[in-house]
Amino acid sequence: MSGMKPTNKKAELLLEAASAGHVQEVVAMESVAGCATTFDPGWEVDPFGGVASLCQPMEADLYGCSDPCWWPAQVPDTMNTYPNWDASSPSAQNDWRELDSVFPKK
Amino acid sequence: MKFHVLAAAGLGLALATAAGAKAKQDYIVTGAKPDHMFVLDPTAKTVVADFKIPNANSWVGAIVPSPDARVGYVLVNKMESISGIDLASGKEVFRANLSSGDERVKCLFAFDVTPDGKELIVYEVPVKLGLSEYQVEETRFAVFKTADGLDAKPVRQFPAPRRVHTLLNRKDGKSFYAIGFDLYEFDRQSGKQLGVRGIRNWDYANHSIPDLLAFWPVSEPSGSFATPLYSTVPPAAGKGEPVAKTALMTLDLKSGDLQYHDFEDTSALIFSSVLNPTKTEAFGVYSQLSKIDMKSNTLTKRIDLDHTYYAVLMSTDGKEVYAAGAMCNVAIFDTATLDKKGDIRLPGCTDQSITSPRVIRR
Repeated sequence: MSGMKPTNKKAELLLEAASAGHVQEVVAMESVAGCATTFDPGWEVDPFGGVASLCQPMEADLYGCSDPCWWPAQVPDTMNTYPNWDASSPSAQNDWRELDSVFPKK
Repeated sequence: MKFHVLAAAGLGLALATAAGAKAKQDYIVTGAKPDHMFVLDPTAKTVVADFKIPNANSWVGAIVPSPDARVGYVLVNKMESISGIDLASGKEVFRANLSSGDERVKCLFAFDVTPDGKELIVYEVPVKLGLSEYQVEETRFAVFKTADGLDAKPVRQFPAPRRVHTLLNRKDGKSFYAIGFDLYEFDRQSGKQLGVRGIRNWDYANHSIPDLLAFWPVSEPSGSFATPLYSTVPPAAGKGEPVAKTALMTLDLKSGDLQYHDFEDTSALIFSSVLNPTKTEAFGVYSQLSKIDMKSNTLTKRIDLDHTYYAVLMSTDGKEVYAAGAMCNVAIFDTATLDKKGDIRLPGCTDQSITSPRVIRR
């Protein structure tokens, strides 16, 4: 991890785990899928520390990640609260402008 | 039920099947949002059929073809239903709605049809929906009879480990594999766990716990399942950063042989992989198409793709490799050169997302 500086809480925890010898307890992405069990905050950087190995283009990955609730923080929860968020936009590359933000109902 | 078969090619598929008059050939079955199941002809590079899956609820996931290639079972309805679509007529011939009452049940991609075609084994993740809380219940395997039509109910259920994402029947039909943190094997009839072998707890000297993302349950044409695994080994000099390695895990569904072999210091991501018929080469996709020699466990070629693909398939003769999933096309490549031979664009260009396209032969 030398040369890497954590920029969020999860990264700090990972760094702490590494220094304490507990890194094997961090098993992000290992066989996990589904809204309630995934805590992947989304691809901030790729495994090489850059962005070149993220999905290209981003639209190729949008529904592949939101359908199984892989990105619970970035898109509405299509399993529970907003099941129809993408129902009228079946093509991410053509319909992405129609994918709106959502707000809690009053 | 609304469906349509595209032009004469689709009609030809149906008629040829009925009459047995046409030599068998490969077709690709894939799904796309919001409710499509497509049958593609990779030789003619055409879309043969575009079927509408009833009540898909804008969600089309893993596909499992029946052994006779007549029915495509597909996970739909936000992981809560499995629909069986007749691949000649487009008619829904099987339906299992997993949720009932206040129990919401999702299948996280893992289901398979038995080699005799008579049963579907489904990994179920149930949650009891209360007025003020959700109560997580124990995961389980549920067995459905494929002959039970449009209101199929489980005929057997037994406990399952958590976090299973791929389910693969052994060729003898007596047991099945569940891939999760480790590789489990269960008796088909009793549900008794017959064995467990390491994935997270693998026995690979000097390697860290591996990371894998394997929910494309493809075993055709080789009869073996293959998936990339990522781990690290200590630096050669004993100092510095661990070295990231990419391995292929292969599982022979007939013999049960399980192997892991590094083939490169990790230099590109691979989401899914497939073995050729002789198991001498493997191909993996993501934003590149990678070719791996399985004898020497080395990367032999890698090309950039026009966009990211999640899924990779092979022709039965091993001469073509197909990149699919994610967006709205299937790209065709020559396995010897990785030269692109063609592209099949899905009508309407809706996303395949995380569906697992499959090759059938009929």
